[in-house]
Amino acid sequence: MASLQQRLDEFKKSFESGAPPYNAPYEAIETMHRATAELKATGIEERALKVGHRAPSFTLFNQDHAQIESTDLLRHGPLVVSFFRGHW
Amino acid sequence: MELEALQQIYADVRGLGAQIVVITPELERYTRALHKKLNLSFDILTDLHLKIAEQFRLVFTLPDYLRDLYKSFGSSLDRFNDEPEYRLPMPARYVIDEQGIIRAADVNADYTIRPEPAETLRQLRSLSAAAAD
Repeated sequence: MASLQQRLDEFKKSFESGAPPYNAPYEAIETMHRATAELKATGIEERALKVGHRAPSFTLFNQDHAQIESTDLLRHGPLVVSFFRGHW
Repeated sequence: MELEALQQIYADVRGLGAQIVVITPELERYTRALHKKLNLSFDILTDLHLKIAEQFRLVFTLPDYLRDLYKSFGSSLDRFNDEPEYRLPMPARYVIDEQGIIRAADVNADYTIRPEPAETLRQLRSLSAAAAD
């Protein structure tokens, strides 16, 4: 099976071709590229927490409105935390 | 796509004694629907107003011109995330050990690049191998 990045790249290629079903205008694609380049240039990636840092603990609600505590999860083993911007 | 890819490694992650959580600014009423639709085995946690993403230093504000573009596509971040300022987290994946220390970090300002789940599994395996020594 194709890797996640291969599938994302396929989608990106299709989107940026400007063809159906997305019909993305060239100017829109340029705008997105510009925003990404500007964000990278701010150095924000270097400021994010890194290997060796202590991870902030958190208490958040899950999709069923149950309260989840990171300290509870870590009692049972390592934790993978993926930040997702949403599907909007 | 990323959530489905994480679902595919879920059994292996659990087999290594680890767990997965996804953190998003998206409101619970939307995460509930998404969780159900994708039939996920791990939790999606709502990070209201990006309080936790801020602590990981992942938050940025969409520039006005991009906000306008997304609005013209019909995307409404303010509705899904209750983020009138259009702030977002960078995509990031962390592996945290039982002591709460970050052992792997993959952060990219380019949202079209996501860490490979197979790589996350490799990181967990090396962590459990180190713990067994």
